Amino acid sequence: MDFVQNLPFISILLSLFSGPLSSILNAKWAKRVNATVISVIGIFSATVLFYVLRTGQEFVYLMGHFPAPWGNEIRVGILEAFMATFFCLIMLLCMFGGIAEREREIEESKQNLYYIMVNLLLSSLLALIYTNDLFTAYVFVEINTISACGLIMIRQNGRTIEAATRYMIMSLLGSGLLLLGICFLYDLTGHLLMSNIKEEVAILAATGEYHIPLLVSLGLMSVGLAIKSALYPFHAWLPDAYGYSTVSSAAILSSLVSKGYIFLLVKIFYRVIGFSVVCDSKVVDVLFVFGIIGMIMGSVNAIRESDIRRMIAFSSVAQIGYIYMGFGLGTQEAVVASVYHVLSHAATKSLLFVAASGITDASGGSRNFLDLTGAGYRNKAAGIAFSVGSLSMVGIPMFSGFISKLLFAQAAMGHTHKMLPTLIALAISTVLNAVYFMKTVIRLYTPVSKEMPIHEHRVIPLTEQPVKAGALLCFIVLNFLLGLNSEPVIRLITAGLAMFD
Amino acid sequence: MKEWILISVILPAVMGVCLLLASFAENVKRSETVNRKNRRRDRQTGEQGTQFGLHCFVGIVLALSVAITFFTAYGGEKSLVLFPLVDGIPVAFRTDDLSCFFVTIVGIVWLCAGVYSFRYMSHEGDEKRFYGFYLLLYGVLCGLCFSANLVTMYLFYELMTLTSMPLVLHNGSREAIMASLKYLFYSMCGAYAGLFGIFFLNRYCDTLDFVAGGSLNMTTVSGQEEMLLVAVFVMLLGFGAKAGLFPMHAWLPAAHPVAPSPASAVLSGVIVKFGVFAMIRTVFYVVGPAFLRGTWVQYAWMTLALLTVFMGSMLAFGEPVLKKRLAYSTVSQISYILFGLSLLTPTAFSGALLHTAVHAFVKCGLFLTAGVWIWQSGLTRVEELRGIGRKMPVLLWGYTVLSLALVGIPPTGGFLSKWYLAQGAVQSQTGVFRLMGPAVLLVSALLTAGYLFPITMNGFFPGKTQDGSQPPQRKDPPAGMLVPVLLLALAAVLLGVIPGPVTKYIADIAALVCR
Repeated sequence: MDFVQNLPFISILLSLFSGPLSSILNAKWAKRVNATVISVIGIFSATVLFYVLRTGQEFVYLMGHFPAPWGNEIRVGILEAFMATFFCLIMLLCMFGGIAEREREIEESKQNLYYIMVNLLLSSLLALIYTNDLFTAYVFVEINTISACGLIMIRQNGRTIEAATRYMIMSLLGSGLLLLGICFLYDLTGHLLMSNIKEEVAILAATGEYHIPLLVSLGLMSVGLAIKSALYPFHAWLPDAYGYSTVSSAAILSSLVSKGYIFLLVKIFYRVIGFSVVCDSKVVDVLFVFGIIGMIMGSVNAIRESDIRRMIAFSSVAQIGYIYMGFGLGTQEAVVASVYHVLSHAATKSLLFVAASGITDASGGSRNFLDLTGAGYRNKAAGIAFSVGSLSMVGIPMFSGFISKLLFAQAAMGHTHKMLPTLIALAISTVLNAVYFMKTVIRLYTPVSKEMPIHEHRVIPLTEQPVKAGALLCFIVLNFLLGLNSEPVIRLITAGLAMFD
Repeated sequence: MKEWILISVILPAVMGVCLLLASFAENVKRSETVNRKNRRRDRQTGEQGTQFGLHCFVGIVLALSVAITFFTAYGGEKSLVLFPLVDGIPVAFRTDDLSCFFVTIVGIVWLCAGVYSFRYMSHEGDEKRFYGFYLLLYGVLCGLCFSANLVTMYLFYELMTLTSMPLVLHNGSREAIMASLKYLFYSMCGAYAGLFGIFFLNRYCDTLDFVAGGSLNMTTVSGQEEMLLVAVFVMLLGFGAKAGLFPMHAWLPAAHPVAPSPASAVLSGVIVKFGVFAMIRTVFYVVGPAFLRGTWVQYAWMTLALLTVFMGSMLAFGEPVLKKRLAYSTVSQISYILFGLSLLTPTAFSGALLHTAVHAFVKCGLFLTAGVWIWQSGLTRVEELRGIGRKMPVLLWGYTVLSLALVGIPPTGGFLSKWYLAQGAVQSQTGVFRLMGPAVLLVSALLTAGYLFPITMNGFFPGKTQDGSQPPQRKDPPAGMLVPVLLLALAAVLLGVIPGPVTKYIADIAALVCR
């Protein structure tokens, strides 16, 4: 066994134990430890990715060398390693992007708590990505929920506590459904390890035995994870949670936490149930319908919103809708498109959140739409970054958003029933996106007229927040990379999904 | 030297971006000193010097880029594959006859409007930003002309919308912003309808590259014809949004009055033509006219075009604001072109292309004329222009010649193009449209005369004025504004007097694509 194969497990342990370590450090050192840990894990994951690409084979890591039914397993393929690397990168950029806000908005004595939560969150995300055991996945889903709650309410004002409570209730409902689904599945198959369950399910599906319980279990797990990742009718917790928490929390929640659950769902589809069984069931159709409704309703809500942070939050609802629509199409290409959209949305949405915080800073802290007039001139980096993010969200060619739309549309082509709804929903949602994002960009670059009260406005030069500007620049580069150089990424995703089977 | 294509796209674009950065830096500085009392004085000093420098810079860049573009276009066929966007769909450029034709129109109009705007824009302010987007848009349009496949075309089509929008909202008033959002909304809807069709064509065509006569794979299509027809129709409607085709024309009269006149001139003269361009590329270079001939799509297209021709003229006839009147006139005239295309015969196709050129020059000239009146005396409504011929006789003569060309009176280019259009209609096998088409065109030409000529008549012969017998002083506009208008008028006339080379060039394209 090569040493590299230990790295995923080491990464999980490293982030898990750096949490308690942060609790005894002061804020400054906790911050440094956190940044180091994320970077180190990112490098580890990249190494693992290269290793897997070189060998061209997945590997299974047995914890404590106990074989399957008793021991716990970690399984690493191309997609897992890639996701882990990407998530670390995004998380690092989100943390850098929100330093100033964290120091301003969180009480001095509680700052190290924030880093505990982030470390725990990272470890649970990594575990969700790597684990080959369904029950372990559930355990880390819970850890993920708890730490996400902490991230929301660490900035203490009334709204965040309300938001965290809502988030807690909805999330626990989701976890509960997921647990129920897992119980059903355990009952049916007698296994908790993903690969073992898949073998059993394949037999059950072939014989047609226990059809209904299997369907119920699949449905419960899908709905549970859909609630947790804010698919449209279950999105009530989202705007407040993203809108009022501190900026790095909002960015991490929208681009990583919900995406972790989605990735788990992909794993359940491919590694637990088997994708052909999933496609035969009607569950995908339900996801498809909710996805499409989400795409449109999310944007409609965003248009009505006059608070820029909440607007971006509602836009997340729409984008999550895209991803579920891709699952709903039920073809390999569509899932590739969905996973690509996970990446593209993670890169874009965190960019938008960080940029929005820069913009509101330059407008006296006001998030109201009208007060943002001319903010693009006052905070150059944030203005440009926001424009890039908006163009990507609208789906202008050369940005990442266009590629994912193209992939969705290509995947939908030739589908007998779902082609037209998909294409029409894509078109409508794009136009709606254009309406509210371009409206904001125009507002940012409208010069301030003399009648407006300007005393609150403040010019933020690049030198004032170099770290944030750097993070924004990295986000922009990432966006262009995904938009102009999508070929290798798509190939990686395709190869990774092929490894799932 | 295939890299010339890239240079002709990138040079103006990069220069434009440089200007935009400069303007951005200025705005940043202004917002930094927003509280300082004396900022007005700061801006005043040195304004003259920098503006002259700016004009020189823009003029040189523009002339150089147009020269490079022409050199690229007429220096033999070139093609260039840039990079793959997704698997099998590269961003690629190629020069062919149609792109040369369009790029020539763009170059001429851009130069004239550019020279004109040096004087005009001095009263609008924020010139750097305007010229930045002006140059950037030129680069984008070159890319659009030279694009070699549908996806590249779509890319530049979207970029065209985005870079032309700031020209509309230039003065930043609430009206301008609402108008530009309306423009954006219509264009985005249109572009996405176009993209919707591209997805279909990607499946049913051998290649998305432009092949004269189309590249439809009939074995894949068989059994799916109806579906494909719907997709093509949606594409036509979508690209029609840019061209002001009937259900999606409402942005034109909203966007034109608020934009600065040079911007309306290029918007009306050139940008809307690229809706036409996209339709030509789709119908004649990807789907192929043979597939559409005799289908409901052709008839629906024809009906919409004729409806728009008539409706645009009627609306223009009743519109008192000059720029709005000209905008409605554009709606109507572009649909002449679309009607010509929808006939799918070589003669009508020639007529359509010829009318594209004529209308580009004429409408650009008319908007520039309207701009002079706004710039010099603030006159926006038609009835205020009574007696304008005493004041600016030369300009009004220019206006008159342009109007003659638009109405289609020999020997101007407009006569020739309409002649071809009518010929094409009569020769085509389209049943009732054979005669109805020319009839509608004729009625609309009368209406065109009805809404353009009264300005000339009242301008030269104001009749008795109530307020005094003193005739107004003669006050010609500066040469920088007058000459572009006269040049455009000359071009419109020349197209009719010596049409040989152009018609031959167009006829070659038409013979190639209308198989």
